[in-house]
Parts: sequence; structure tokens; C-alpha cells
Amino acid sequence: MPPPNTPVAHTPRSLSVDFTESLPFHNITVPPPNTPSSALDSPHHNRQYRSRAPQVVEEAVETDSSEIDESQHIDYRALTYADTVNENLICPICKVAFVDPVDTECEHTFCKECIAHALEHNDVCPFDRNPLPQPATLTRSHKIVINQLDSLLVECSSCRAHVPRSMLRNHLDRYCKEALVDCPDKGCLQQVRRKLVDQGCLHNNIACPDCEGIHQEVAMSKHREESCEERQRQCDHCGTNILRCKQTQHEEECVELIVPCIWVQYGCEHQCKRGELNLHKLECNFRLMGPMADILRKEIQTLQSDVRYLTDKEQLQERRIKFLEGGQRESHRHSNYEEWSSQALTPLADSAQVEPLSESTNEYLLNLLGDQERRISQLSSALTELEGKQTMMLFNETVPIKNQIAELQSNQQMTSMHIRWFMNWRKEDQLRLQQQQRRFGGGGGCAGGSGGASESEVDGGGSSSELATPRRSPDSLTRGLVTKL
Amino acid sequence: MATTLATKRLSKELAKITDIMPDGLTLVSATDFTSWTIDLTVLDANPLYLNQTFRLKFLFSDKYPMEPPEVVFVSLHEPPRPIPMHPHIYSNGIICLDLLGQNGWSPVQNVQSICVSLQSMLTGNSKNERPEGDTAFVATNRQRPRDINFYYHDDKV
Ligand SMILES: [Zn+2]
Ligand SMILES: [Zn+2]
Ligand SMILES: [Zn+2]
Ligand SMILES: [Zn+2]
Ligand SMILES: [Zn+2]
Ligand SMILES: [Zn+2]
Ligand SMILES: [Zn+2]
Repeated sequence: MPPPNTPVAHTPRSLSVDFTESLPFHNITVPPPNTPSSALDSPHHNRQYRSRAPQVVEEAVETDSSEIDESQHIDYRALTYADTVNENLICPICKVAFVDPVDTECEHTFCKECIAHALEHNDVCPFDRNPLPQPATLTRSHKIVINQLDSLLVECSSCRAHVPRSMLRNHLDRYCKEALVDCPDKGCLQQVRRKLVDQGCLHNNIACPDCEGIHQEVAMSKHREESCEERQRQCDHCGTNILRCKQTQHEEECVELIVPCIWVQYGCEHQCKRGELNLHKLECNFRLMGPMADILRKEIQTLQSDVRYLTDKEQLQERRIKFLEGGQRESHRHSNYEEWSSQALTPLADSAQVEPLSESTNEYLLNLLGDQERRISQLSSALTELEGKQTMMLFNETVPIKNQIAELQSNQQMTSMHIRWFMNWRKEDQLRLQQQQRRFGGGGGCAGGSGGASESEVDGGGSSSELATPRRSPDSLTRGLVTKL
Repeated sequence: MATTLATKRLSKELAKITDIMPDGLTLVSATDFTSWTIDLTVLDANPLYLNQTFRLKFLFSDKYPMEPPEVVFVSLHEPPRPIPMHPHIYSNGIICLDLLGQNGWSPVQNVQSICVSLQSMLTGNSKNERPEGDTAFVATNRQRPRDINFYYHDDKV
């Protein structure tokens, strides 16, 4: 029994561990009142996370810079793309999607490495033989090209997942379960797949339980499943060939194995092959009682856990009340204490009780404060992460839209060019038609035939604006003639 | 690096060629990335090459595609694979084509484009003759084709 005024913060671990372990079927959503926040999210994990966090960061920084980079060098020319890559994104030299594309002065695009290589052999543009004297001016290709390349889906060579090409490095460095990372044992210089990192160093040699061959622990399951000469055996019951290492799994489903009735714990003594169990189920004496008992058992378990939860809660409340009472008494005594000390009548017992009280209160408050701070920092880091994710998503979504807009724009320009051309053509056509009509009319019907015709010809040669105006009336024609004369 | 680039590039080309081979071309062998053989026929009815098939041999250095491959016609009795009659093709199969020289070559060219160039070179030819000094050249030449300094008389043929 703790001292009556011990604040809850002193025992958060034992308390909450009790909760999580004693209430397997009961989801705790409402924490007991006055529980410091560190006890809210299972302190087990919390502590582990906190003590391990700086280590993880150190590891990441180390491996990023040197070891992973070397061992997991990405060969961008050997990547497998999820879809066929657009022809326009294929380097004409290496015939794969551009890696680090650059443009030449003559506006041809190549991989930086490819063009550098080609220029060593011949300093002309490989495409149009335009001379590119060394050192050639190569500019980084337009962002649209880079974005398109970045968003190409490639297959991760380790786990076969499809990821955008620009994210492959990140995927391999941080998330790929199959990627090789340094063994968690710092003294061991070997590598292990990321999914096995939690199991510690698996590079010690152990003997295969089947063939007694020596293999590294990390390779043992593969050996036992695929290459061990003794890996197979016949099931004693059904006779099929099974892997030794999968024997227990097989025994759980082998139809020939003799198993007890499912209601054995309620007293059925029947035993038969698993395949025939279904028949027995229909006639088992316990077929009605069994499910009932099962339900009752679950009910009892729930009730038990409820009781345990309530007891804990009650204890907690009791302690809280005592703590509050203690606080009150303390403040009360405090004033008394000053009085007494001035009167030089200090009782030793009282002062001894007061001091630890105020200390524990402070400690409790400090604890609360620390917990709040920790929660805030947790929240803010979650927020930053979310923000990053959102930016990434936004970026991924806008790139294809941008590309589409560019494509539409060029389409639109093309169409308007066509329309303009067509309009011009129509105008010219009309003009030609008018001219023909005029010439035809002048030669045919006009009274002052020869004079009028020659005049219009002179006019036509003289000014083009007249050509463009619609057919002139004979009136204006004569007026023109008169003014000229 | 150069070695792997050549291999990677050739494996890309091979994948494409085995997928769809252009008309008039048949891949005979490509066991590794150093030497391929391809059979070639002329597509139009040029009477000079009617019903004939020619065999091309490609030799790739590890500097491919930065350097051109060595391409020659080879002759064979069974199945009959003669050396095509052409004023730029010597009777020992050596081809005088600027595309295949150090200066005419460009890394954007590839096996398929070489074959197509050779096809059109044969299609456009009407002279049933060998280059000038063929007998002497064939008798004396010990150089590898790519090291020979051809004088590209006229590029139109
Ligand atoms: Zn160019
Ligand atoms: Zn390239
Ligand atoms: Zn992966
Ligand atoms: Zn290890
Ligand atoms: Zn074994
Ligand atoms: Zn079995
Ligand atoms: Zn039973």
C-alpha cells in the first residue's frame, strides 16, 4: 500500500501495464481519471520508442551517406518500368528512359552521361551532326521532362513493388522490406533484409535440424524450404510429402490425423480423424451445450475484466481523494507552521510530514507538465509528417495536370493555326471568285466596253486596296474615270 | 561502365528486334553481345538482287554504341548467301559506307538502322559492278574494315 498522498504519477507503469495485460478483451478508450498522459498510450511502447529514437536517427544518417549507397547502388539503366515508356522520354543513345537529361545547343536531349561519352568520341551532336565543340554547353532539360521522368513507375528490384522513379532511392533506404541493410549488430559487418532487422543478428552459423548441414541462421528457413536434401518427409497420417519445417502447420490441417472433438473441454471424449469430425459434430452430445458454454465463458471473461477495471479505477479514485485531502491539510498546516515557528513551538513530527508533501506536489505537477510537453511535441511531429505527405501528394497530382495543360495548349495553338490558314484561304478564294466575276462582267455587258475594261485593268495594277474592295458599281467606276481625267 | 552500356544497349535492341523485325530482315543468330548475324533481302524488285538473300555479320566492340560496329557481308554456300554486287561493296564483303566509319557514325544509329540503310543502298543501285581496284584490294587488305580509310567517292549511291 503506497502512502496515502502519493500522486498517481509515481506508479503509472505498473498501473497501466496491469490494465493492458489484464483486459485482453476490453478496449480501454476511457482512461482512469487523473492518469498522466504518459500512461495513456501504453508506456511500454513509449519508453521503447523514446530510448531507441536517437539511435535510429544515427543509423539512418550513417547508412545514408556511405554504406547503403555503395551496396545498394541503383543502376537506373537496368530498371524495369511498369508501363511502356513514351518514345519521347527514351534516350537515343542508351535506349532507356533518360537519366539526368540535358539539352544540347541544337535542342536535342540525351542522358548527361551518354552525351558526355559520345562527345569524347566525336564532338558533334549524335542526332544532327551539329558541331558541339568541347566543352559543350549542356543545359538541364526542362522541368516538365524531369517531372515526367520522376513520375515513371519502376519496379523495385528487391520487393517488386511499383514506385515512382524519383522515390526509389527513398523507398530502398527507408521502407523496402526486402532491401539489404546493415546487420543490427554493430560488430557484424554483414547485411540483412530490412524485415529481419528486428530479430537481431542472424549471421551466426547453426546446424540444420534435418540434414545437420551448417548454414547461417538468416538463410536457414530458405535452406529448409528449398534446398535441404532432407527437407521432405512423408506425413505419418496421410502419407503426402510435406516439408519437415512445415510439419506443425500440416498437422493442424492434416485430414487423417486423429483429433479430439471440439467440445473436449466440456467433456466429450470422442476422437476421430479430422476429416470425419464434421460427421461427429452432427451427432455429438455436446453440440447444443458446447456453443452455449462458449458464450457463457466469454461473458464471464468480459465481466471479470470489467470488475478488474472497476477495482483499479476505484483504487485510483481513492488515492486521488487522499491526495486532495493531503493537499488541503498541507496548506492548512503550512499557515499553522509559520505561526508555530514564530512562537518557537515547532513540533518535529509535523514539519517532517509537511516537507515531503510539498515536494511530491511539485514533482507531480512537473510530471504533468513534462507529459503535456511530450504530447505536444508528438502532435507537432505528426503534423509535420502529415504536411510533408500532403505536399508530396499535391505535387504528384499536379504534375500530370500540368502536362495535360501543356498538351492542350499546343493542340489549341495548332487548331487556331489551322483555322487562321483556312480563313485566309477562304478569303483568297472569295477574292479570286470576285475578280473572275468582275472580269467576266466587264468583258460581256458594259456599254463602253473597251474603255471600261482597260480602266479596270489599270486600276487593278495601280492599287491593291481596290482589288480587295467588293465589286464596284459602274457609277463609282465612271466617277473614278472622270476624276482621273 | 562502357562494357555494361554496350551490353545493356544491345539487349534493348535485341528485345526490340525479336519483338518485331522489320520487313526483309531475319535475325539468324545473336548468341552473345559481341557478334550477330542477320539475313537481308531487298524489298523492291531490283533485278540485280531478285530472289537473293544476303548475310550480314555484326561485330560489336565494348565501345558500342559510341563506336560503330564492324559490319560485313559474308558468303555461304548452303543456304546460298552471295556477296551483293555493288560499286561500294568489295567481293570479300567489306562495305564502303560512311555510316559505318568513325566519322559517319553516330551513337543514335543502331543495328536496325544500319540494316535499313544497307537495304536502301542496294535498292537504289543499278550498276552491276565491284568498286574500282576490287581485286587488288581484296588480295592485299589485311586491315579490319573500320580501320580502313575509305574515300567516300559519292554519297548518293
Ligand atoms: Zn542536335
Ligand atoms: Zn542515355
Ligand atoms: Zn522494395
Ligand atoms: Zn549479423
Ligand atoms: Zn538441411
Ligand atoms: Zn498428413
Ligand atoms: Zn463430441
